[in-house]
Formats: sequence, structure tokens, C-alpha cells
Amino acid sequence: ASKAAGKLTTGLTGLAVNSTPHISLTALYDRTLKLLARMPADAKYRQSTEAIVKERLAAVNSEPDISRLEKRINCGQIEEVVQQAERELQLARNFLAWKPWEPLIGQAPPNQWKWPL
Amino acid sequence: MINLKHILKLRSLPGATSCTSAFLKETLTAPACSRINASMISGFPTPVRRELCTEKKMPTVRYSDPAIREPLKAFGKYAGECLPKYIQSADVTIFDELEILIHPEGVLPVLSFLKDHHAGQFVNLSDICCVDVPSRQFRFEVVYNLLSLRYNCRARVKTYTDELTPLESCCSVFQAANWYEREVWDMFGVYFTNHPDLRRILTDYGFQGHPFRKDFPLVGYNEYRYDDEQKRVVIEPVELAQDFRKFEYSTPWEVFPNYRDADKNMRKEGAGDEK
Repeated sequence: ASKAAGKLTTGLTGLAVNSTPHISLTALYDRTLKLLARMPADAKYRQSTEAIVKERLAAVNSEPDISRLEKRINCGQIEEVVQQAERELQLARNFLAWKPWEPLIGQAPPNQWKWPL
Repeated sequence: MINLKHILKLRSLPGATSCTSAFLKETLTAPACSRINASMISGFPTPVRRELCTEKKMPTVRYSDPAIREPLKAFGKYAGECLPKYIQSADVTIFDELEILIHPEGVLPVLSFLKDHHAGQFVNLSDICCVDVPSRQFRFEVVYNLLSLRYNCRARVKTYTDELTPLESCCSVFQAANWYEREVWDMFGVYFTNHPDLRRILTDYGFQGHPFRKDFPLVGYNEYRYDDEQKRVVIEPVELAQDFRKFEYSTPWEVFPNYRDADKNMRKEGAGDEK
């Protein structure tokens, strides 16, 4: 059963082949960027994640061939890249609630981390 | 400012890669870390770090590997910049292991970040363990060991709590945390909120107490034996034929000059019988 001359299997258990990875990736990256835009502009997480996502989005938009795209992104198979994008999106959602860019909520007591005692 | 591309470039190749740019000054939490390398080997303190010398390397000494160390330091600093609300410090130990020390409120955010972020991908929770240090205000130090398969590196996340303060369960982030947290609860008594099924896992069904605490005796409180008259196993207070003997195999010479403080503190707390 060929998938329009694409790959037959990812080789990873439980990870199905994605026949339209460009669509999935652009959708995920666009939604992530929308979420990131709601974070403060000086947050390090926002700046770095936007850089990563924009770079990957540029790669996805400019490279129609899947295997060459995989090599260019250099982070495993395209299905794994989709997984990473899904995770990042979920993380961005959670970060909007947690707001980890705020200053430290509390220091440890003075000798908490001292070792040897 | 850490160049993110550089971190990803370093981390995109399997295995450790060599570092090319200069990184921040090391801040090691363990007191004698930086001094062990130099003073222990040469016998007297030197200001030069061993790995920067071009002297012959001794085969019996485990030297620090900058190829592993530098990317970990960079990532630790990066994580500290992304989550300043929870991360108290992020250092690499003398053994080239990344340790991130966090506030207990930050268990879920930090673990989610390490797992879900592109530059982290610490998808594997190897272990959750706990260290009991009764002299501290927060006696239990809960340690999460993570592994990133994508970047072939490990990280450790440490929090603290006491007997009564619960920690947030990370089962929603890592499925593997289920039994590990049950074990920490059973052995130490650290409670995890929002755990799907927090019950004992290693101790016997009616067992009372948390065995891995430092104040729990080595032989326990009860012993089980088969009683021939009652024809069943009975539980009785433990009785040993011999008194517990603790040996102090200490030498009259000072072996670790860098740990003089620790030595003094140990003696203060009462080290037991000298033999």
C-alpha cells in the first residue's frame, strides 16, 4: 500500500506515517506563534521559541520534498517533528497559564542545597 | 546572551559535540567541586583548572570533559532564563551532570518545559528519588532524573519539601512517575497531590512508618515469625540476639582537607563508637 510514493512506515511503534506533513506543521506552527504573541516580548522563552518555530516554518514553506525537509530540519523523521511541534504548542498553552517569566517566587532556605553538610 | 542557534546546533548532533564559544563563569553548588580537581591531584592548591593544562593526563583520574560540560552548562543557563520564576540555580556538577534546583511550586512547569520544548526533549523520566537530610528545614530532597534521547543527555531536577507539605504529582507529564511517586510516598512519606493512585508499593499491607527516613531504625520495629502454637505468622516487636554495633573506621590522618567543615559537623552530631 503506497502512500503516493511516500514512505511506508516510520519504523517507530505507534507513530503512523503522515502523508501531509506540511499542512500539519504549518497549522501547528501558526497556532504556536499566535500563542507566543500573547506572552511578554522580553520573555526569553518567547524569543527563543519564536526563533525556532519561524526557522522551521521557513524550512517547511520552502522545501516541498519530505525527505529533504527532514534532512534540513535535522531532528528525526517528519512525524517526530510533528510530535515536537504538538508538544511545543501544548507547552506554550501551559506557559500562558503558569507565566514562568516572572521573577523567582522564592529562594531556598540558606543551607538547603549545601552538600556535604 | 546565549545564542539559541548555537545551543540547537550543539545539541542537534548525536552525542557530545565540541564547544566553540566562551560561556559563563562556572558556578558550582557543591563547595569543594572546583578545588578537588586541582588541589587533590597536585597536593597543594593551584589556581589553574586541570583540564586547561597541557600536562599529561593520569589514567586513574576521571577528568571533566568540556565537550559534555559546555553544552549542558549552556542549556542550564538557557533553562534558567526561560523559567526564572521557579529555577533557583542550574549548574553542572564536577561529574559533568546537569542539576537544576527548583522551587517546589515549579515541578510541573519545569518538567513540562524539559519534556516539551524543542531544545530540551527530555522525554524519558528515568527515576524519581528522595534524599532525607533530617537536619534541614525541608528535610526531603526529591530528585527527578531525566534523559533526552534526541540529544543524548541527562538532566536532574531537584526540589525540596518537608513531612507535611505535598508536592504536585507529575503523572500528567510523565506516565512513568506513577510508581516512582508511590515509592517515594511509601518510603519517605512525601505526599503528591493529583496523583491518580497514591498508595503503598513496597511495604507490607499493614505496615506503619516510612522505612527510608533517617530516623527509622535499620532493623525496623516489628519482626515476623511463624508461631507453632498459633500455627500462623505473628508480628512481635523486634528482638535481636546481639546489640547493634557501629564501627567507625577512621584514620588518625586527615584524608580530605577540602571537607574539613563537613568532618567537623559530622563529629558534632555524634558519630558513634570509635573502634
